Amino acid sequence: MKALQVSRSVRKLGMARIASAISPVTATRLGPLEYTSVDEPELPGPGWHRVRTRLAGICGSDLSLVEGHASLYFEDWVSFPFVPGHEVVGELDDGTRVILEPVLGHEARGFAPPFDGAAPGDGDDYAHLATGRLEPGIQTGFCCSTGGGWAPEFVAHESQLHRIGREAGTDMPDERAVLVEPFAGGIHAALLAAPVVAARHDTDQPAIVAVLGAGTMGLAAIAGLRRYVPDVRIIAGARYPHQRQFAKEFGADVVVSPDELHRAVRRAAGCHMVGDHLSSGAHVTIDAVGTSDTVADCLRITRPRGRVVLLGMPADVTLDLTGLWHRETELKGAYTYGTEHLPDGRTVRTFDLAIETANDLRAERLLSATYPLSDHVDAIAHAATAGRRGAVKVAFDLRKEDI
Amino acid sequence: MPRPGFVLDVDKSTPPTLFWHGEGFRLEKLPADRSRVIYAPEPHEAIDDIDGAIRTALLNPIDMDPLPSLLFPGMKLTIAFDDVSLPLPKMRRPDLRQRIIEQVLTMAADAGVDDVHIIAALALHRRMHEFELRHALGDRVYDAFEPRGLLYQHDAEDPDNLAFLGTTDQGEEIEINKRAAESDLLVYVNINLVAMDGGWKSTAVGLASYRSLRHHHNPTTMEASHSFMDQHASELHKSTWRMGKVMRDNGPKVFQIETTLNTDTFPQPFEFLSKREWEWNAKDRALYLGTAKSVAKLPARTARKIFHGIEAPHQMTSIQCGEVEAVHKITTQNVYDQQLVEVEGQTDILTMGIPYICPYNVHSIMNPILVMCTGLGYFFNLYRGKPLVREGGVVILTHPTTNEFHPVHHPSYIDFFEEVLADTRDPHVMSQKWEQQYAEDDWYRHLYRTTNAYHGVHPFYMWYWGSHALKHVGKVIIVGGDAATVRKLGFTPASTMNDAFEIASDTVGRSPTITHIKTPPLMIADVK
Amino acid sequence: MVDRNLQRAQRAAGAAEDALRRATMPLRNFGFPYRAPTVPRGVEVPPEVSGLGAHYDTEWARRPLATSVRTVMVEGPVRLAARVLASPEILGTDRLADLAGLEDPPAVIFAPNHHSHLDTGLMIRSVPLAWRHKLVVAAAADYFFDKKWKAAMSALSLNAIPIDRELTGRKSSDMIKGLVDDGYSLVIYPEGGRSPDGWGQDFKGGAAYLSARTGAPVVPVFIDGTGAIFGKGMKRPKPGRTKVVFGAPLRSEDGESTRHFNGRIEAAVTVLGDEAITDFWTARQRAAAGTSPTLTGPDHTGWRRDWALAERRKLGTAGLRRRQQRRWPDLG
Repeated sequence: MKALQVSRSVRKLGMARIASAISPVTATRLGPLEYTSVDEPELPGPGWHRVRTRLAGICGSDLSLVEGHASLYFEDWVSFPFVPGHEVVGELDDGTRVILEPVLGHEARGFAPPFDGAAPGDGDDYAHLATGRLEPGIQTGFCCSTGGGWAPEFVAHESQLHRIGREAGTDMPDERAVLVEPFAGGIHAALLAAPVVAARHDTDQPAIVAVLGAGTMGLAAIAGLRRYVPDVRIIAGARYPHQRQFAKEFGADVVVSPDELHRAVRRAAGCHMVGDHLSSGAHVTIDAVGTSDTVADCLRITRPRGRVVLLGMPADVTLDLTGLWHRETELKGAYTYGTEHLPDGRTVRTFDLAIETANDLRAERLLSATYPLSDHVDAIAHAATAGRRGAVKVAFDLRKEDI
Repeated sequence: MPRPGFVLDVDKSTPPTLFWHGEGFRLEKLPADRSRVIYAPEPHEAIDDIDGAIRTALLNPIDMDPLPSLLFPGMKLTIAFDDVSLPLPKMRRPDLRQRIIEQVLTMAADAGVDDVHIIAALALHRRMHEFELRHALGDRVYDAFEPRGLLYQHDAEDPDNLAFLGTTDQGEEIEINKRAAESDLLVYVNINLVAMDGGWKSTAVGLASYRSLRHHHNPTTMEASHSFMDQHASELHKSTWRMGKVMRDNGPKVFQIETTLNTDTFPQPFEFLSKREWEWNAKDRALYLGTAKSVAKLPARTARKIFHGIEAPHQMTSIQCGEVEAVHKITTQNVYDQQLVEVEGQTDILTMGIPYICPYNVHSIMNPILVMCTGLGYFFNLYRGKPLVREGGVVILTHPTTNEFHPVHHPSYIDFFEEVLADTRDPHVMSQKWEQQYAEDDWYRHLYRTTNAYHGVHPFYMWYWGSHALKHVGKVIIVGGDAATVRKLGFTPASTMNDAFEIASDTVGRSPTITHIKTPPLMIADVK
Repeated sequence: MVDRNLQRAQRAAGAAEDALRRATMPLRNFGFPYRAPTVPRGVEVPPEVSGLGAHYDTEWARRPLATSVRTVMVEGPVRLAARVLASPEILGTDRLADLAGLEDPPAVIFAPNHHSHLDTGLMIRSVPLAWRHKLVVAAAADYFFDKKWKAAMSALSLNAIPIDRELTGRKSSDMIKGLVDDGYSLVIYPEGGRSPDGWGQDFKGGAAYLSARTGAPVVPVFIDGTGAIFGKGMKRPKPGRTKVVFGAPLRSEDGESTRHFNGRIEAAVTVLGDEAITDFWTARQRAAAGTSPTLTGPDHTGWRRDWALAERRKLGTAGLRRRQQRRWPDLG
C-alpha cells in the first residue's frame, strides 16, 4: 500500500532541521518522511486487529520529528522505518469504528499489566516499551511492527481500541473522534494540576492556573481544568484570535496574548514583581508549547512551591534553573494518559473523559482542514503554521466512498 | 510690545498650519473659508531683577505680616513646592523655586530657625529623580538638606505621616501631610503655569492623600467643571476651596507664594514653533525642515531625549505672596492677562496637535492614556465660557499614539490599558468597578512609595480628566496614530487629516466649521 | 536582559585587555630617542633672565587681533590646563543669572581670595561667559611678567595687567578705573598677595574702592584648594581638585564708607568659604549667628596654626588628588 514512512537517515534529519528555518515545505521535502510503498503489517498474534484508517491527525510531536527537531532521547524507544500517526479514528474488519489509544502498553506487548484494569499508559517501569513481542516503540505510530495512522491500514491490540458508533452507545462523527487522543493528553495534564490545587492553603480564593499556548493541547488542557478540576481561575495566553475565541469558550476566565500573560497572572494574584519574576503567581502553570522561552516564562509566573506541567514536548532546552531551585518549583512532565483519580473520588480512564469532553464541546470544530496522504507536504506545512493560518488541528482523510 | 493672541480665519492664501505630532510635527492645510486658527498671545516681558522682586514680595505680602516677622527660633517651618509636572517645558537654571526657597531659607537662618523641612508636594504623582530635584531646587539647597533627611517627597501612602483635618459640609474629607499640618508656618512655593494651579489646590491637593482626593478627582466632579481654567465654573475648584476653608480653620498657617511665567516657551533652535507661519523667515523654514526630517529618522528613544532636554526660556512675570485666596486672585488675573484670547462662538470640529509632553510624562513616554488626557482633558478645557467645539461635535487629535508605556513611571497604566479599557471606557463604570482595586493594590503602592511610579489609581484620574469632553463630544479621531491602540481607547484612527474630515462627516456633515487651537504656547480661549 | 549585557561586557573587556597587552609588548623595549630623555644628576639647566615686571605695557593685548586669539586660547588651552591641574568644580554662577541675562551685562569686579598663582588662570576659566572675554586680571608683576615670553603670554592669554605690591599707587588704580569704565570686568585680589601660610589675610579696600568709584558691582568669589596645589613656596604644582564658588553681587550702599563695604565683601567671601566646605544651610545659619569660621584662621601660632590648617583642608577639596577618591571616615 502507499503510505507515509519515516526512515532512519541522519542526513535527511539534519537537512530537514536546517531547512525548517526556511519553510516547513522545504523541510518536509528534504526530510526523512516519504510517501512510498510499504507492506501491510502482519498481525503479531491473538488479540490483535487490523484497522483501516479513516482520519489521522498531525500532532506537534509528529512535526517535531519530521522537521528534525525531536530529541535523540527517542532513539532507543522507536524502531525504524515506521509509519507515523497516532491520533487515529479507524474501522475494524467488522465495520465497527474505533478510536486508537496509541500507547503500546503491557498487554499489547505480552506482559502482565501493572494492576487490574490498567490503561496502556500506566505503570512505573518502561521496560516493556522496548521489549516484548514487538519491536521497540512507545506508541503505534513509532513502531515498525504495528504500522501507524498515516497509512490506509495498521494493526492494533484490543487494549488500544475504543469502540464508537451506535452499537457502542456513543455516536461520534469521525471528525470529532480524531480529536479524542489529543484531548486525552490535555486532560491528563490538567488533572496533574489537581493535587496542587487541592493542597493549597488559601482556599478562600480559587486557585490560579495559567495555561501558556492555545493550540489543540492547550485548549484541551483548558477544557480539562474547567470540567474536572474544581475551584480554579484559568488564565490563558493565546497568540491568535481564533485560539482566544476557543479558549474563552472552553472555559478560560481570562484570555490574553502571551506577552501580557505575566501581568494578567500578577493582577490575579495581587502580588509584586521582583525583576522578571512574580513574587507569587499561579499555583500551577501548564506549558502547552515546550520551548526554552516558554518554560522559562512558566517558571517566572508560578508561585514558590507551585508546579509547572510540561505538556508540550520539549527537546533540548537551555534554562537557568536557579529560580526553580530558589522557589522550590516542581517541574512535571505530562505524557499521554492512563488511569486518573479525580478530585471527586472517581477512578476513570483519561480516554473516557476525553470522549465525554469531545462530545460536550463538539470538538470537531477544532478540525480545521483535511488532506489526502498524497498531499502530505501541504498537510504538514499547514499543521506547522496552523496558528498563523487560523487553523487548530490538521488531519489526513483516508476515507473513500463511504464518507 | 508683545502682540495679543488672535484668531485667524483661514483663506486660500493661508500657509499650512504646524500641528504637533508627539515628538515631531506635521504641516496641515485646513479648508479655507470655514476654518480658523487660534494663536496664543506673545510672551510678556519678564522681570529684570528677579531676585530683587522676590525679596520685595517676601517683605511686602498681601494680608499677612512680612515673612521675617513670621519666623522665630524654635519654630517648625515647612516649605512645600510644586513638583516636576511644572513648568512645561522645564525652566533654565536657576529655577524659580530655587531662587525663592534660597531667599526664604536665608530669612529663616537670619531668624535662627533650625527645624526646617522641605517637601515636594506631589500628591499621587511620581517621586522626582535626584536630577529633577537638583534642577528645581539647585544644588546648594539639595546638598544641604537631602543628606540630612530634611528634603523629601510627600508620601500619600504613609499612614504615620498623614493628619486628618476634618470634613467639609459636603462630607469631603481633608487629610494632608502630617508634618505640614503640624507646622507653625507652611510656606508654599508655586509656579502658576495655567489658571488651574495655585490657591487652595497647592496645599489641599498637593499634600493630600487618596482619602481626600477621591472626593473631587472623580467623574461627577470632572463632568461638572466647565472648565478647570475658570475657578468659578469649576466643580473641582469649588470642592478644593471648601477643603481650603477647613484647612484655614484646622490646619497650619499658610504663607502662599505664587508666581506667573510668560509664555516664552521655545529656545533657540525651536523658536519657529511659537511663530506664526506666515512670519517664518528662511532660517525658520530651514530649521523646521531640518528638525522635522531628522527627528522622523531617529529612533523614538533618541527623539524623546532631545525633546525632553528642551529648556524653555520662560521667566517670571509676577510674584505675590501672603494669604492664599487674596494672592490667588491676583495671580489668576496675571495668568489671564498673559494667556486669554477672545474667540467668537463654537465650531463643529476642534483640531489640536498633541505635543511630546504633558504634566505626567516629564522625562518619560507619552502613553495612549496620556494622549487622551492631554487632548480631551487639558487642551479641550483651555477655555472660559463655552468649549470651543459645539456639543456633539468632533475632536481631531494628531499624535503617533504608540502602544508604549514607561515601565518605571507608569506601571499601573499598562494594566489599566490592558484590563480596564478592555472592559469599559465609561468613567463612571470604571470608577465603580475597577478604581478601588487599583487604588489599593499592594504592588502599585510599593512602587509609588519606593520607586518613581505614579500611584495605582492615577491612570483613572487621567481618564476622568477627559470625562467632560467624552460627554460633550460626538466623536474623537486621532490622525497618524497606531490604529489598534487608537481603537482600544474607543476613538477612530485616521491616516491623514483629510481622511479624518471624511470620517467626521458622518457626525458633522460635509462642510463643518473647524477651529484649530495652536498650543503650546499656552493660552485660554475666552469663548463668547 | 541586563545580566547578558554585563556578561558580554565582561568578556569584551577581557578580550580587549589581552589584545592591548599583546600589542604593547614590543613598545616596552623603546627608550631615548623615541621617548624624552631623563636629566642626569649634577647638571643644572640654566634659567633665562630678563628684565621686565611691573613696567611691561599690556595695551597691545587688548587690540582686536590679540583679543580674538585670546578667546581661542581661553576656550582651549587655558581651560584644558585648568582642568588638568585643578579639576575645578564651579558653583554659584546661577547667582549671576540676572546680571548675565541682561541685554548688555554691566562690567563687574570679581573679588576672590588668593592662595596661588593658579587662581588667575582658574578665574579666567570659571567666570561666566557673559564676562569671560572682556576680562582684565590683576596679576603679580614679579611672577607673571618676569620673563619676556611669560609677560607676553600672560598679557595675551589672560589679559593680565601687572600689579607690583611695592608700587601700588595712583597710576595703577587710574589705569584700572579706565579699563572698568571701558566695560572690562576686573579680577582683583582684595588680600593683595598670596597667603604665606595657607590661611587668608585681611582684605584691603581695593575692590571696594574701585566699585564705589566706577559703580560696578562686586562679586565675591571663594576659591578652595589652590593653596595645596601650587601654594606660595611650592616649586611645582601638584595636580588636585578645586572649587570656585561665586556669591551674589554686592553694591555699596548710599553713604557707605569704603572700609565698611570692604568688611561686607570680606564677610561674603567668608560665608562662601563656609558654604564650600559645609553646605548652604549651615553657612547661612552660622553667618546669621556670627559664628562663620574666619578665613584668616585661628589666633594660634606655630604648629597649632598649621595643624588647624590641615584640619580645615580635610573638609574641603584641597589636596585631593584626582585619583585619590577615598577619605577615611571619622569614626570618633
